[in-house]
Amino acid sequence: MRFIIQRDRLVQSVQDVMKAVTSRTTIPILTGIKIVATNEGVTLTGSDSDISIESYIPKEEAGDEIVEIKQTGSIVLQAKFFSEIVKKLPTDFVEMEVQNQLQVVIRSGKSEFNLNGLDPEEYPRLPQVEEENAFEIPTDLLKALVRQTVFAVSTSETRPVLTGVNWKVENGELICIATDSHRLALRKAKIEIETAHNYNVVIPGKSLNELSKILDDNNELVEIVITENQVLFKAKHLLFFSRLLEGNYPDTSRLIPAESKTEVIVNTKDFLHAIDRASLLAREGRNNVVRLATLESKGIEISSNTPEIGKVIEELVAQSIDGEELKISFSAKYVMDALKTLEGHEIKISFTGAMRPFLIRPLNDDSLLQLILPVRTY
Amino acid sequence: MSMWETLEEMQPNVLKMLKNSIQKGRLAHAYLFEGMRGTGKKEISLLLSKSLFCTNPIEGYIPCETCHNCKRINSGNHPDIHVVEPDGASIKKHQIQSLQEEFSKTGVESKRKVYTIVHADRMTVNAANSLLKFLEEPTAETTAILLTEQAQQILPTILSRCQIVTFKHLSPDHLIQKLIEKGVSEKKAPIIAQLTNNLDEGLLLSNDEWFAQAQSIVVKLYEVLRKNPLEALVALQENWFLHFKEKEQIDQGLDLVLLILKDLLYIQLGKQNQAVYLDESSRLEQFALQTSGQRLAHQMTAVLDAKRKLHANMNPQLLMEQLVLELQEGSTFV
Repeated sequence: MRFIIQRDRLVQSVQDVMKAVTSRTTIPILTGIKIVATNEGVTLTGSDSDISIESYIPKEEAGDEIVEIKQTGSIVLQAKFFSEIVKKLPTDFVEMEVQNQLQVVIRSGKSEFNLNGLDPEEYPRLPQVEEENAFEIPTDLLKALVRQTVFAVSTSETRPVLTGVNWKVENGELICIATDSHRLALRKAKIEIETAHNYNVVIPGKSLNELSKILDDNNELVEIVITENQVLFKAKHLLFFSRLLEGNYPDTSRLIPAESKTEVIVNTKDFLHAIDRASLLAREGRNNVVRLATLESKGIEISSNTPEIGKVIEELVAQSIDGEELKISFSAKYVMDALKTLEGHEIKISFTGAMRPFLIRPLNDDSLLQLILPVRTY
Repeated sequence: MSMWETLEEMQPNVLKMLKNSIQKGRLAHAYLFEGMRGTGKKEISLLLSKSLFCTNPIEGYIPCETCHNCKRINSGNHPDIHVVEPDGASIKKHQIQSLQEEFSKTGVESKRKVYTIVHADRMTVNAANSLLKFLEEPTAETTAILLTEQAQQILPTILSRCQIVTFKHLSPDHLIQKLIEKGVSEKKAPIIAQLTNNLDEGLLLSNDEWFAQAQSIVVKLYEVLRKNPLEALVALQENWFLHFKEKEQIDQGLDLVLLILKDLLYIQLGKQNQAVYLDESSRLEQFALQTSGQRLAHQMTAVLDAKRKLHANMNPQLLMEQLVLELQEGSTFV
């Protein structure tokens, strides 16, 4: 393998794939970055076996030559050293050459590094992608999908399947569900998919967080391919693979109440701030409990009382209150997490009694739903 | 000779069973390989993993050793194979937990996954209990291989969930022959064959200066015990503690003491050819005349007792002093 490459592009690609490389791995080869040079360009791969990131540098882009391939081939280099080296090279061009016995020479200007490489045959094989099962969604929508659901995944490993987000593709619609059994976030989005194939997979929450960090904010299309073992997100010159969680995701459709007894419509920001203030006196150790009560005069009262510290009461004017009177307690943290993901100006909260879960939805928008279980306070 | 054939010579029953299971598609979800040190447990666990992952197995079960899966398993780089080894003295709960986390996800390359727990008897109680649930509900195509030298120390609840495969004890004669073939002197080979079952380890011992010295110190200690029991404690301080420092070293020292006692017993029974201290045979024969079988049996019990206490972390100095007092001839120490 031998090629000459623009340093900036190489640095950028190395930085991208480094996000997947961890130093604490039991598989020695995964401490390295795999570099493959073909006649079309150079591909870099980093992996911690949970997620794998592949960055592609094309031979030329917009008439500009980025890589000059002299000889094709592949090698695995120690990520820790390679990333530091490329960052600090003196000139704008880098020459890399693999000599016999996995020795790599990196030249830039007058500096020359000799690095010991690892055998590329040892590197894990990423799944072969079949294009026909793919669907596309814009990057910003994908990031919103992730942001609005992933916060609700469980952090405890007692039920591993709940540490992921359930992605379902049914009838041209993508449904993302996350729950930690105290709250649930659900987001739907229309997608264009050619095959009538339905998917139902669970993607680890950690992987989705990493994905949204690595994607730029724009509305270019991201191609998503779901395979048996892995899911692949394909952006421009960037491939993000993640393993899936094993096991069946619980059926959540019956958890969402169809009817409600009390419906409140309030301004999102006012409500969020009121709860934020009330939670100041709520204790972490006691679930951050905040009480909400409907008032006769078309308002709601939000209060919190911790005898050792003090109490707080705030009245809030609601746009409308329909149905029965209600007193309910809930975790301020869960409600704030949910409110932060809602984009609309106004929200509709649907209660079905003080002991039943309640729903928060943006007004006139069915695509997003946040369900929260109340706290029993007697 | 291929890896499979070499190991087949060593453990014919085990490999025959594995071969049949693979060919008939009846692999158990969990195996417990139980057998003495050096009987090839780890090698066979690797072999089984390779048979499972090999892309082109010979006759359907012998790994080819040349495909990328076999190669990566040999170099420890296969992402779907996990090996857990004791972190320090024991296997901790967090190690089992990270294994569980790993197995809650799909495989990296295929659906098949294998995990091996080396020294499964050294799991802490917490770790063993976490593993239990995991063993109970295996996901499809997951194979667990537990390796141990002491099956009786494993929780019965774990034992009952594994297929137990017993590795047979290798005959010392076989190893002695192999050692001599490899150029170990005929006088050293029998004693090494008693201490290990593994050829490579035996070769290592035969070249070990420490081990050669250890033998002479042990013989000397026994001699002092016979001739002048009162000086034995002094001899301990002067020679023994300077040489046997680590727990493993003391353990080996105790094994050597045990072998002397065994030799004496053999000589008394007229089975001189089974004795292993060939260098010292004339002196030992003399000692054998001066003791009784009952007495020897008592002394062997004392050494075995000391070995057990060593693993229970008894202070080594007190341990050895107590042993020396027990080994003294004449009045029984109360």
